[in-house]
Formats: sequence, structure tokens, C-alpha cells
Amino acid sequence: MIPSTPFLCVVTDEAFNPVTLAEKALEGGATMIQLRHKSASGSQLLFWALEIVRLCRLHDALSIINDRIDIALASNADGVHLGQLDMPARAARKLLGPSRILGISTSSPAEALQAEEDGANYIGFGHIFPTSSKERNSAPVGAETLAAAARLVTIPIVAIGGIAISSANQMISCGASGIAVISAVSRAENPAEAAACLLEAMRRGEQ
Amino acid sequence: MEHNRPHARHLPRILVISSGKGGVNNSTLLHEQIKHLPPALPCMVQIREKHLSARALHALALAISSAKLPKGTLLLINERIDIALSAGLHGVHLPENAMPPDAIRAVSSEMLIGCSVHSPLSARRAEKADADYLLFGPVYDTPSKRPFGNPQGLEKLAELCAATALPVFAVGGITPQNAGPCVEAGAYGIAAISLFMNPETLSATIEQCYRTFCP
Repeated sequence: MIPSTPFLCVVTDEAFNPVTLAEKALEGGATMIQLRHKSASGSQLLFWALEIVRLCRLHDALSIINDRIDIALASNADGVHLGQLDMPARAARKLLGPSRILGISTSSPAEALQAEEDGANYIGFGHIFPTSSKERNSAPVGAETLAAAARLVTIPIVAIGGIAISSANQMISCGASGIAVISAVSRAENPAEAAACLLEAMRRGEQ
Repeated sequence: MEHNRPHARHLPRILVISSGKGGVNNSTLLHEQIKHLPPALPCMVQIREKHLSARALHALALAISSAKLPKGTLLLINERIDIALSAGLHGVHLPENAMPPDAIRAVSSEMLIGCSVHSPLSARRAEKADADYLLFGPVYDTPSKRPFGNPQGLEKLAELCAATALPVFAVGGITPQNAGPCVEAGAYGIAAISLFMNPETLSATIEQCYRTFCP
């Protein structure tokens, strides 16, 4: 269900059309697309979600909706990704049933353990490095904390936050199963190529 | 399409919309309001707290739905069918840019679904998409809607009510004194935020409004 290691989750960027971005990312081999758009209306989100779900099925990738379990259910997406200010994981799991994917954002080993206990299928862990893609009040957690979290939990960990081609392999050697990126793909001159390079860099980290 | 929605047949005629304002001890004003609902006159209560995160909304919805409420109270939340299902609410209210009612129905056929509409065209669209009731306004002048232009007025309300078989709730500047003309224009009920914001007078205000429907 979760893609085989190493996997690449491309999170949509509010500055670009998410469907166009998803298409390019999938072309480059992204294994998971997360639709994340905090300011879009429900009807707009549903429209994008239906398109992204369709594209992901074509490419054998997973479609994940950020925060909006309602949109995920209505678009028949593969799952949801929830932050610490979104619906609690246990409540989300009840709505999603056993087969849909639940990802939870965490930023400490304790939160990661809790997410696993609450029924998450994977954990987003970060932000590892400084990043401008999301507004952050906290300091980056760094690679060592990622490694500590990876030792604690048994479900896949996806490293997120400021990860570039140069650091992708390090995430995998720290025990992450994959990485999630926004700007590394969305702001690249060639997003498809950037996605392919990130996957290639992670594979080097496995060896 | 057949749905088993027993509560959709006899909707209360008063819709209390939450204010997004705080109450005592970090709670929301809604916590105070629901304590003062009249025990024998059921209302619909719409949780509309746009500033809250999904986690806070979920917690609020759970708190309201587990509170002691008058028999027949129907609880709705803006748009989030996931929160409605998780907290055991009766339905969702959809702004015009929300997911359409039929998409919500596909997730949960039993939900009560209301739609905000601003024209006969969108009323017919909502009806076709299987909404249970409509909310139309602003009928009268109301400070919060002034930036969007003039109120729609009673004539437009009458046009809208004539265009749909669904119950229509009039909203915008409603008072017990001007609710009567809304009913004469074809409205099934009335909805308001500010009219119901004072917990001390809430019960009496709702009773006054009910007299408009059963003179």
C-alpha cells in the first residue's frame, strides 16, 4: 500500500496549479502526491482532488489530501495527511476505515510514537532543514532527530522540510523511507527532472 | 434518489448561526448560547467558526453535540462532513463555494444538507443536487454583509422561494419585528447570527420569532 522504499511524496505548492504540478511530478516518478491548499474553496479542492486521484491511478502512485478528510472521502483519494492542528488521528482513522492511508505530521520522536499508536500508516517528520515553503515558528529538527525517530517507530517515516537533491540520500541513510518536498519540485526549472533526480539521489542513500 | 432522512421532513423554523466570537474561560460564545435555548421550541444550530483549526472545530463540535440540548435540536457545521460524522452532528451547511450537496451525499446519504444560495439559479442547482434546505440573504441591511453590496430585499426573497420547492431560510438583518414579511414572501424560516448573540435574551428572542410562524 505504501510505496516501496525509497519513495517521493510531492506536496502541491499554493503558487502553482496543483494538477499541472502533479502531472509533472508523476512524470518524473513521484510515488505520492499530496494535495495541500489551505486557502482554496471546497468546490475547487474537490475538482483538483478528482483530477489528482485520476492521474495518480494512471501512474500507480498514491493520492493524499492534506487536512480535508471530507475532500478525500468525496474524491475517493487513497488517504489523508494530517498536521497536529487537524482532526485527531484516532477520529480520522474511524472515518477512513482500515484501508485508507493516514499520514501524520510530527516533529519529535514522542509525537512520532503517538502517531503510530493512533493508527497512522506513515509519519511525516520535520522540518529537517530550514525551509521557506511553510511558515514555521520552531527550529529545524535536524537529521539526528530523524534518525532517533526512525529507530523508535516501525511504520515508514517520510522526511520533510528543506530537503534538496544534495541531502536526499542522507535522509534515507538516517532511516527514512522517503522524502516529501514542495519547492524542490515545484520551483525547479524542470519539475519532472527534479523529481527523477530526487529519487535517484535517495537510491544512492540506500546503498 | 431515496434517502432515509426523517429529520429533513419537519425542520425547525429557527436557525441559530454561531458568531465566531469567544465566550467565558476561552470557550466560544456558542457554549453559552446553547445553554439558553428554549426547552420546548426546537432550533437548528449551525456551527460556523471560520477562524478555528480542524482540531479545534472537532473538539467544539464534540462538546456541543454531547451537551444537554432541547429535544429536537438539529446541529449542523459549515461544510465539514468529516467533522459532522465524527462528532455525530445532524448535518452540514454549505456555502456556495463548498463541495456540492451530491458530493456530500455520496459520502453520507443520511446527512441533513443546507445550501447558501444567492439567486433562483443557484437555488434550483442546489435543489437538483439534493439539498434539504436553502439559506438566502441578506434580506435586510446587516453590517457584516455591507461590503458585498445592497441587501437582496423581500422581492428577491419571494422570487427565490417561488423558484424552489425546498424550505428557504431568510437571513440578514432579521428581527422578530421584520420576520413576518419574510414568511409572507414564502420563507419557511429565519436564520440569524447577531439577533441570537445575547445568551440572556436568546430564549425570549426565539419565542418572539416563533410567534411569527404561529400567530
